[in-house]
Amino acid sequence: MTTNIMLGGVGGQGLILMTKIICQAALEEGLDVKSNDVVGLSQRGGMVWGNVRIGKKVYSPNISPGDGDILVAMEPIEGLRWRGILKEDGIIILNTKKHFPTMVQQEKYEYPDEEVENLKKEFKVIDINAFDEAVAIGKKQVSNVILLGILAEFLNIKKETWKKVISNNVPQKTIELNLKAFNLGVEKAIKNK
Amino acid sequence: MLQKDKRVLTGNEGIARGFYEAGGLIAASYPGSPTVEVIEKLKEYHEVYSEFSTNEKVALEVAIGGSFYGARSMAVMKHVGVNIASDPLMTFTQTPTNGGFLLVSGDDPGLASSQNEQDNRFFGKFANMGIFDPSNSQEAKDYTKLALEISEEFQAPMMLRITSRVCHSRSVVSIDERTELEPKGINRDKEKFCMVPPGSRKAQLFMKDRIEKLEDYGYEFHINELEEREGSDTLIITSGMVYQNLKEINPNASIWKLGLIYPISKKRAKEITSKYNRVIVIEEMMPFIENELKLMGIKCEGKEYFSYTGELDIKAIEAGLHKAGVLKQIKKYREELVETVPRAPLFCTGCPHRPVFDILKKSKAKTIVGDIGCYSMAFLFPFQQSNIIISMGASIGITKGIKKAMTKKGDKEPLVAVIGDGTFFHSGLPAIINLLHKKNEGENMTFIVLDNRTTAMTGGQPNASSGLYNEVDDMKVNIKELLEAMGFDRVKEINQYDYKATAKLFKEEIAYDGLSIIVANGPCALKYNMEEPYYYVDPSICINCRACIKTNCPPLRMKKYEGIEKLKSSIDKDMCVGCSVCAQVCPVNAIKSSKETDREDDKIDN
Repeated sequence: MTTNIMLGGVGGQGLILMTKIICQAALEEGLDVKSNDVVGLSQRGGMVWGNVRIGKKVYSPNISPGDGDILVAMEPIEGLRWRGILKEDGIIILNTKKHFPTMVQQEKYEYPDEEVENLKKEFKVIDINAFDEAVAIGKKQVSNVILLGILAEFLNIKKETWKKVISNNVPQKTIELNLKAFNLGVEKAIKNK
Repeated sequence: MLQKDKRVLTGNEGIARGFYEAGGLIAASYPGSPTVEVIEKLKEYHEVYSEFSTNEKVALEVAIGGSFYGARSMAVMKHVGVNIASDPLMTFTQTPTNGGFLLVSGDDPGLASSQNEQDNRFFGKFANMGIFDPSNSQEAKDYTKLALEISEEFQAPMMLRITSRVCHSRSVVSIDERTELEPKGINRDKEKFCMVPPGSRKAQLFMKDRIEKLEDYGYEFHINELEEREGSDTLIITSGMVYQNLKEINPNASIWKLGLIYPISKKRAKEITSKYNRVIVIEEMMPFIENELKLMGIKCEGKEYFSYTGELDIKAIEAGLHKAGVLKQIKKYREELVETVPRAPLFCTGCPHRPVFDILKKSKAKTIVGDIGCYSMAFLFPFQQSNIIISMGASIGITKGIKKAMTKKGDKEPLVAVIGDGTFFHSGLPAIINLLHKKNEGENMTFIVLDNRTTAMTGGQPNASSGLYNEVDDMKVNIKELLEAMGFDRVKEINQYDYKATAKLFKEEIAYDGLSIIVANGPCALKYNMEEPYYYVDPSICINCRACIKTNCPPLRMKKYEGIEKLKSSIDKDMCVGCSVCAQVCPVNAIKSSKETDREDDKIDN
């Protein structure tokens, strides 16, 4: 059984670090793993995405539409955009912090609040304003680690492994804060499971 | 037995690791997606000399030099980089390779971040190189090592053709130790290395002989692997990421996976294909392997089922195999991307390009020739301030040509070109010098050099002027001084964060009926980590004119305030880096710095 995780976000949110951490955690557990990231314009506020596939033997890093188990939507519109990748009983981990795209800023489109709300009718959605939570515990940069904490609760990888890999991938002086963010995510997931 | 050290690496990291393990010594590159991270990773290995050179031609020459001295060497570039490097490449490959030589070409099927989709396998063949095509990070590492070994054994230059998907995807790689290799020293045989006749005539025969020997070697080469499927009369030939996607489908067919895609052993190809009724080639972009097989007289199919453009993902391969009749039924897929609000890339918060294009949008210049870099995004909504973008450094020469043609028609309209600092040094310079030739009064051209002190688009690599602005970078070429030394008599420098002064200067220079150059000098907000006190909107002063909104800075948007009927502007303070551009375009001073407020707060507190 391969687990397919899709991540959608906005350039500059740290999505690539997330896919890297997920990959390393899977390898630590002795699993085969492949990932994909879209890079190039990734820091310029455009849509970015990545995915990770974990299993006994993984060939392609790509997830075909309808094969996704979990979608980590780091921004609500990106949750809408990528929902087609999910299986019918797929899970969406949704960061409710909005990043307004140019078309909304320039008043050509309305922000699709209602459609975002409707995601809950179709999928199991765990939503959190990871940005505000991160600011509240100390630094906006750890918002993606909060999302990782939620994700961890749905994957068969030991929490200790996650913590080890996260510690290896963040600046030394921010380890404590990152682990706090991770735990916050885990607790949120347990409450909403 | 000790378990081998395993790591999850990207394809780019795999190449870097492979070069390191192979005893590589000299590596050079110009940053370009999808291969930027190869050199960035190599910088961690102190045994290897690596650099980002001024452009790909220079990078290739540095690597050629390393190879001439008998050191294992590598040049790394994106596919279009090979175009500028092709002059030395096409002649260097005529010489017998001394230290193993590898050209890494990052191809980009689907144009994820490129201006074209050229298939550099044709370049590899054109330049008489052997070509490897890895399908994952392990192969990226292994093929890099193999290519360097074979390069020395056959005195042949090698190409590692890698696609963007393989560059950026991660997979598990076994790590080995580095083999230290002494450079062998230079070979002074003039006939072989001075590429003028008669030596260069002999070289034609040498190259042919070399490729033939490599083809013979390919007959039993273990990386060209046949996976036989019992009872199947169909053979699929493929390579690279397509192989991994194909394995997910697992069709009822044998697979011949090629690692060395040029030259292909004709003898082996005939032996294998003769056992099957049907031979189908699946490859991204042009029919390269298919053409090679057809030249051998092997009957095969391919491009009638699979697109010549874009990536061949699992869905596309299934559809093609279905069309070919290999798959009887295929799965119905959902639409992957659901229609919703588009999210195009935009200038970062605090970006120095923002005031430049906001001013140009309000200027009298109707034609703006763009170039390659972050500022290419000026062509997008809402700025829409580029009419032409072709290739690195091309804006300058093209602008001159347009102007000369305009003169023939008596068209006096001003013409503006923009070029970044990295691009200016990369390949803008020869065209800049060429502007001095037949320079006439009355030919209104304004060139704006966007000196943000870094090669920003690819992640902030240093370039020739970066050393002026920080302590770690060593090159300190001052663009304005350089232009003046060349003989340009109208060169102005401006800090574009001073919006009013910049607008005034642009107006004057665009009105000037001759050639002028403006060096717009503001640091990349991302690379130089701009973090000034944030700005905020006073909604009671805001007249909802949207002048600030039109600058397209990410933290800005129109918002409903309580007790105010109309929407007013707002700034997300957590995102604002305090560049002040929005405050400067505000006609009624409704946007203020938090620094001043804090000061007022302090007063109250004290």
